Amino acid sequence: MTTMFFQSGASPVHRLNPTTKLVMALAVTTTAFAIPVVWAPLVLLLVVLVPAVLVAGVQRPYARLLLLFSAPVVLVIFLLQGLFFPEGTTVLAEFGPATVTSEGLLFAAQTSLRLVVMLGSFLFLLLTTHPGVLMSAMVERGMSPNTSYVISATLQIVPAFRARAQNVLRAQQARGLDTTGLRRRVRALLPLVGPLLLGSLADLEERAVAMEARAFGSTTRRTSLVAVADSSAQRWARLLMGAAAVTAIVVNVLGVVR
Amino acid sequence: MTAPRFTLLTRLPPWARIAAGAAVVIITYAYLIATRPTSPHGVGGSAALLALVGYLLGSVLIISGAMSKLTTSTVTLFPVAITINIVIGQLVRISGLPVHLDSIGTVLVAVLAGPAAGAAAGALSSITVGMTINPGSLPYAVTAATIGLLAGTFARFGLFRRVPTVVLAGVLIGVVAGVVSAPITAFVFGNAGGSLGQSAFIATLQVYGNSMLEAASIQGLIADPLDKVVSCLIAYSVLVALPPRLRQRFSFVREHSVFGIDRPAAVPPVRAEAVR
Amino acid sequence: MIEFENVSYAYPTTAEDALGPVSFAIPAGQVCGVVGASGSGKSTLASAVAGMIPHVSGGRLSGEVRVGGRPVATTPLADLVTEVGLVVQNPFNQMSGAKFTVREELAFGLENLGVDRAEMVRRIEQVLEDLRIEHLADRSPFALSGGQQQLVAIGSVLVMRPRVVVLDEPTSQLDPASATLVFGALDALRRNGITIVLVEHRIEQLAELADRVLVLSHGSLVLDGSPHDVFTDELLPDLGVSSTRYTRAARRAAERGLWPESLPLPVLLPEAVRGFGAGLSVEHTP
Repeated sequence: MTTMFFQSGASPVHRLNPTTKLVMALAVTTTAFAIPVVWAPLVLLLVVLVPAVLVAGVQRPYARLLLLFSAPVVLVIFLLQGLFFPEGTTVLAEFGPATVTSEGLLFAAQTSLRLVVMLGSFLFLLLTTHPGVLMSAMVERGMSPNTSYVISATLQIVPAFRARAQNVLRAQQARGLDTTGLRRRVRALLPLVGPLLLGSLADLEERAVAMEARAFGSTTRRTSLVAVADSSAQRWARLLMGAAAVTAIVVNVLGVVR
Repeated sequence: MTAPRFTLLTRLPPWARIAAGAAVVIITYAYLIATRPTSPHGVGGSAALLALVGYLLGSVLIISGAMSKLTTSTVTLFPVAITINIVIGQLVRISGLPVHLDSIGTVLVAVLAGPAAGAAAGALSSITVGMTINPGSLPYAVTAATIGLLAGTFARFGLFRRVPTVVLAGVLIGVVAGVVSAPITAFVFGNAGGSLGQSAFIATLQVYGNSMLEAASIQGLIADPLDKVVSCLIAYSVLVALPPRLRQRFSFVREHSVFGIDRPAAVPPVRAEAVR
Repeated sequence: MIEFENVSYAYPTTAEDALGPVSFAIPAGQVCGVVGASGSGKSTLASAVAGMIPHVSGGRLSGEVRVGGRPVATTPLADLVTEVGLVVQNPFNQMSGAKFTVREELAFGLENLGVDRAEMVRRIEQVLEDLRIEHLADRSPFALSGGQQQLVAIGSVLVMRPRVVVLDEPTSQLDPASATLVFGALDALRRNGITIVLVEHRIEQLAELADRVLVLSHGSLVLDGSPHDVFTDELLPDLGVSSTRYTRAARRAAERGLWPESLPLPVLLPEAVRGFGAGLSVEHTP
């Protein structure tokens, strides 16, 4: 189990400003969901995401993770909506209660492709962007330092707590504690949550004081040690991607109205 | 592109941002219910887009509003709460229990620090899971925010003082969470987001003539209350087992006597220096 | 540099005062140790110097605390942190937790203050060098030993260039070797002319470092003097503070006439060696 998707590298994609990649992920996802053409997401995947991933040199983990996250969902969508789509009219085949309709297949294909693009967009962002740098970039853009702190700090605590949780569970099993059945299993979780919360509440005051002693409550505009490079080309790219997404939404709305 | 959007956001006062976020979420949901997209190409078309964009915008507004009004000590509680969500959620998923239990930490924050803190903790939890474990949890940020918002509101009105009312709170949270997440499950994930058992159940519902959104809502209304009742009970048992002086440090707990019993505030601190 | 004028303070959840009234002044460049039994108000005093009382802890503060001439209660914390830095007891709690390397961790306070990048880099390199932790710069703050982590914690306030550093039991969570590391760092601070307020229970090392020691008991200042005067004071054991092992040994020896009456009781090893040397020669010449 990983705690971060990030793969370090020195490619031009890695060096891009994180906001550029975030805007790209958001714009690609929005466009994929906005254009009412079945194969549109596929085009976005092949023309935008795949080249970007190849340039970044993260194609192996990308393919593996995208398959891991999307394959089960895609499979279920086709089984579910391919056979039991409630609004299908053009029947292609019937097996008892199951009815294969062309509308159902179309819907399954469209939803699957959109999902793959959504997951793929964010995997691209996360595989090529260190979360710390992403947060710095967001704070530079005016996001609250509180938010950045919470996300970065969580990423640091999770591995340690996960190891501790597994030790506690293993110890419970070693002592022959029966961990079957909902009630027992749930009860087994209490010794995990309790001490963690107790410890953190006891430390809360000292932590808060230490943070304040390092000017965390300051209202001045933050600066950042990690230089987040930006360029006018990237600014234009962000503007264009945003415009493309808005155009796609407008097309969607007009299309539905018509 | 993003710069003007953020500055525009920060110009609104925090409470206005939270209110606007909640309004966007409610309008999005109402619109999805009212229009009942029926044309073959309409299904999953504008409905999925609207569910995604509306819920995302609502979550961002709620996070931005809530985070800017929290004290440093509340903020330092967040990472622990989200860690509890993530790790317990993962353990439970592996174990194959019929519940998620991925919002225990959210409920803890909500009960200790109030609805706004709870909503932000929930939404940030989904975002962190999306960034580290499964990007598929990103669209559900709004459900997690709703859970925190409601848990905090129920704590405010004294539902976290005794077990029966905690169960009631859990049921109510589950009902709303099930309903709010249904458009995401139906339109974005084509009703295929959950476990195999859930999908089989949804398939049955669809065979019996329910629309996708109806099927997702019914599935949510059955599964979510159980999950939220168990989550609220775990959060409650952990909190009542804590030394009262630790709970009483939170002004939300003191002002609204969230736990009722330890209201007489003159709890003698064990170590004077450590207590606010 | 630091002035307390009739300061008393009560925490918001308690009725009785945790501190005071106390008055004292610490001149610039002095290393001032603070000792006392648990609950004597030493942590409260440290918080008051650093302005956490009343800014973070709330409660009732009367009298006036001034640092560098500025009244602490009315100076915004963000301005105060560049005047006085605070190092808390547990170095783990001092880490922001949000940074992935020591270098970034050291930058945290400067980022919050909006210091520009070039200046940030200059100060961080300076602190890494002063504390001799250059080799840790790219490690994760959580992959360090307790002592190393405490050095980073000290560094994290030094980057803000405060003229006063307050440390609340910085070695209580550390093993002896790590504690020695921290005292080495504090010695370097002293040589740089920084005023230090050090709450500490490792009195041998405190006696060696401090120019002056304050003893608190039930929130009041009961002893104030040089380490030698304070640690050989007969009242000390009644205040819940032990004297150094050398003083205790010499006092035991003096009861049996083995400590030369002409010499004062020792506090540190060299004086003890001198005295016991003389005492032994007394015994051998009957």
